[in-house]
Amino acid sequence: MTFTIDYLALAPELVIVGTLLVVFTLDMVLTRPKKFWIATAAVAGTALAAIPLVILGVQGETRSMFDGSYVVDEFALVLKGLFIVAAYLVLLMSHHYIESERYYQGEYYFLLLASVLGSLVMASSRDLIILFIGLELTTAPLFLLTGWRKGDAKSNEASLKYFILGVLSTAILLYGMSFLYGLTGEITFSGLAEATAGRGDEPAMVMAILFVIVGFGFKIAAVPFHFWAPDTYEGAPTPITAYLSVNSKIAGFVALLLMLYIALPGVSEVWAPALWILAALSMTVGNLSALRQTNIVRLLAYSSVAQAGFMLVPFAAAAVVGADLEEAFAATVVYLAIYAVMNLGAFAVVIAGARKTRSGELSAWAGLAQVDSRLGVLVAVFFFSLAGIPPLAGWFAKFAMFRSVMIAGGTTTVVLAVIAAVNAVIALYYYAKVVKTVWVDDPTGEFVEDVEAAPAVSLRLALWVSLALTVAIGFFPALVTFVGDASRVIAVGG
Amino acid sequence: MIVSAGYYMALAAALFVIGALGMLLRRNVLVMFMCIELMLNAVNLTLISAGRALNDLNGQVAVFFILVVAAAEVVVGLAIIVAIFRRRSTASIDELSELRG
Amino acid sequence: MSPYFESYLTVGAFAGLGAVLVLGMLGIAAVLRPTNPTSAKKMTYECGVDPVGSGWSQTYVRYYVFGLLFVIFEVEAVFIFPWAIILERLGVFGLVEMMIFIFILVLGLVYAIRKGVLEWE
Repeated sequence: MTFTIDYLALAPELVIVGTLLVVFTLDMVLTRPKKFWIATAAVAGTALAAIPLVILGVQGETRSMFDGSYVVDEFALVLKGLFIVAAYLVLLMSHHYIESERYYQGEYYFLLLASVLGSLVMASSRDLIILFIGLELTTAPLFLLTGWRKGDAKSNEASLKYFILGVLSTAILLYGMSFLYGLTGEITFSGLAEATAGRGDEPAMVMAILFVIVGFGFKIAAVPFHFWAPDTYEGAPTPITAYLSVNSKIAGFVALLLMLYIALPGVSEVWAPALWILAALSMTVGNLSALRQTNIVRLLAYSSVAQAGFMLVPFAAAAVVGADLEEAFAATVVYLAIYAVMNLGAFAVVIAGARKTRSGELSAWAGLAQVDSRLGVLVAVFFFSLAGIPPLAGWFAKFAMFRSVMIAGGTTTVVLAVIAAVNAVIALYYYAKVVKTVWVDDPTGEFVEDVEAAPAVSLRLALWVSLALTVAIGFFPALVTFVGDASRVIAVGG
Repeated sequence: MIVSAGYYMALAAALFVIGALGMLLRRNVLVMFMCIELMLNAVNLTLISAGRALNDLNGQVAVFFILVVAAAEVVVGLAIIVAIFRRRSTASIDELSELRG
Repeated sequence: MSPYFESYLTVGAFAGLGAVLVLGMLGIAAVLRPTNPTSAKKMTYECGVDPVGSGWSQTYVRYYVFGLLFVIFEVEAVFIFPWAIILERLGVFGLVEMMIFIFILVLGLVYAIRKGVLEWE
């Protein structure tokens, strides 16, 4: 038996594993006043993991391992880069938050890095088992991180709800996968693509695919499988909420896209209508529910449900009319990248603002710009970007989405585009409402004005990075189109 | 008597449905955990019998991984429950309702 | 005697040896130990739980923590079985790989000990 392991291709994952073990050991060795080294090690390790990514990106060749089950191509590299940048921003946001909460620090970083490792594995997975491992490694640590504030009943409840629905979705997903395996005898995506092509009329196949879609529907919090999201987002520590709404959601999307695009393109007539309905429902229900939220984290939770709907639009539209999926795939990846940056920025601004308002209620945020205009500007930038107003990054995400729909053509896609357009307007209303509250309304309460309330250095860095990216992408969309182009180079393995 | 794979699949389907119904109808968290285990074991049974019928090893390999991940997940879940029990003394999910969706 | 029954002879020998071992141990213990029966000592032993009462009795949440730890380490052992079968073909690489795997598990155990999980207050 001979097999070779391409250590360079695995280097980003290995660096994260090494960091994990270092963080874990440090936590056992260090006494409390020296615990800050743990955060330093976690941040340094995450940064270090980007180096092999850059090397692999410059080389630009596709590396395939384990009979094509684990592939490092440009698509995987782009997503790994996205995951690592997002993880880095979340780590920066967490640092001060976790220290001021006085809970276990070592375990926090350990679990967060374990989740990052899972998402890295998933970007490369090209078979059902590795996809499953990556997905579970991404979500399982998050069950615990959601319940991080052990003394807080809301946090407890959030983690229990997330756990039960997360595991339920896993079971449903696995049942679908086990049927796919039983029907075809294949576990690699390339094998599945061949074996499933043209078998969309078999009842068992239809059931298997629907189970898979329902399973992923929970993971990406698409309506009608979204009801855990607002509760979990509100109860979790805010940096973890940011991570949930960005990394874990994107990870779910990546898994879904890989399955549909690589493994099941031959049966698109089965999953296309389901995806179309998910997209339309997510946008509409997500936005309408967001309208009546008074808590800013819950508002962002429903907004991320709606954004998931927008992200599903290109794929659903292209598949319904049977158009080429490549354009839709690229558009979705571009949307994911932009969404990650601006949503992380929005959460960073919520964390920074909550240090002054001591509350997540929107009423407490009234008039915040009067005492801190810089924070007010940041609120405006990120929320208008989420709404898709030029010249901020969000407009290009929406543009890419509508463009791919127009390329697909056909009546059903036009209907979907109209639904998306109406929803974009509804979304603008509640995003603008937040900005109005912060800038125009009179303060209803007292703001905390001491030095402690100023954003910490690491949080400020996170804000600057996401601000720079949001503005830069808005003015120079070419910065992110390469992401879409790179994602076209997707290796099926074999 | 040789039992064909179809019977195992039917048994797995029955287990899965029992588990899913339990998840929906029961309100005790521990019972819900058992239902999840039931569903995951239905998946394992499907994979094993499919692998056996197809004479392919991948099904069994998948079961190994699902087994371990399921164990890890249940441990995480029980840890969450222990954390909640330490603060209050109920196992009913309905009494956990401080967050309303 | 046919070879078939001869092999049963081995089984019988082992069974006898086992019986002698157990009875011998118990016998020696009975001779050597001091006898001082109290009502608590006479109770049927069942993992430290009071065996009297309804089957629906409550148990300590503490047991869960031990149970959880046991489940995790026991289930990880599942990966060692397939590895053991092909160890010879994998060679040194396989050995190192499994050492890393077990090292990570041991690290987890050390963590549990450091956190005082294995102590019964």
